Amino acid sequence: MNMDVNPECGAMLAGISAYLDGDLDATACDAIERHCRDCSRCATLVDGLRETIGLCREAGSAPLPEPVRQRAKASIERLLACENPIRS
Amino acid sequence: MSVTKLENPNPSASETDRAGYARLVTAAAGGDRDAMERLLMRAQEVAYRFSLLVCGHPQDAEDVMQDALLKTYRYVSRIKEPEAFRTWLYTTVQNACRMKRRRHVGEPAHLTSIEQGATGGDGEPGPVEVEGHSRPADQLLIDSWVSGRLRQALKALPPSYRMIVVLREMEGLSTREVANVAGISEANVKTRLHRARVMLRHAMEGV
Repeated sequence: MNMDVNPECGAMLAGISAYLDGDLDATACDAIERHCRDCSRCATLVDGLRETIGLCREAGSAPLPEPVRQRAKASIERLLACENPIRS
Repeated sequence: MSVTKLENPNPSASETDRAGYARLVTAAAGGDRDAMERLLMRAQEVAYRFSLLVCGHPQDAEDVMQDALLKTYRYVSRIKEPEAFRTWLYTTVQNACRMKRRRHVGEPAHLTSIEQGATGGDGEPGPVEVEGHSRPADQLLIDSWVSGRLRQALKALPPSYRMIVVLREMEGLSTREVANVAGISEANVKTRLHRARVMLRHAMEGV
């Protein structure tokens, strides 16, 4: 985890999540982008984090596996049939 | 090297999601059966993902889904703040996972609660091995659902960090909502999220 970073890389790393989340102002974004043009290690890290975050978001939008979904649907139908009727 | 920022779904998508949930809750509470069905399905989806990805206990998932189903149904009938539903749901699912673990007889010593984690030498939580056994058929389903590489990398995170990643990145909760569910400050959420992202990246490079 320790990347043995120089101060400039350290400052970049501290702001990288805020940068990726779009929480930094234009000046701070420019500084990070300038740094990444000159520092391949930081640029690689930024790209890697972006890919990781993308994979997480993709996984979060995956629908339930169909058999699980069918069981969930059946549970809902049983519950609504047993409990007080709800208006359609 | 040129870098581009992420198309950030937060906070706008998070706000949209929260508003969408609130509308659904209001409609369900008003007697709309279709809205109730959709809300109950969402509650079970949340329970399934949380059980598998945060707690790492596939064998608990369907019980936690049942719990989420019943509690959501009862909650909606007495809802006062539809906007707070999402936070309530994730907190409820988290508690259901914890209770389910506590009820297990002969729980192995290596299992650790979500908020604890193991503490490393620097005071930060260390990685905790999570139980991964499940029926073969379930494992096939899980494998086809979320990439094995990502699930393995998530397992390498301390549980408290894993929860932040799942709630923020996968479930799309806002920083404030994550803070409410996890019971920590927003600043702490941001710090943990940053560390978790870096750890996750390193873990993914190793699997």
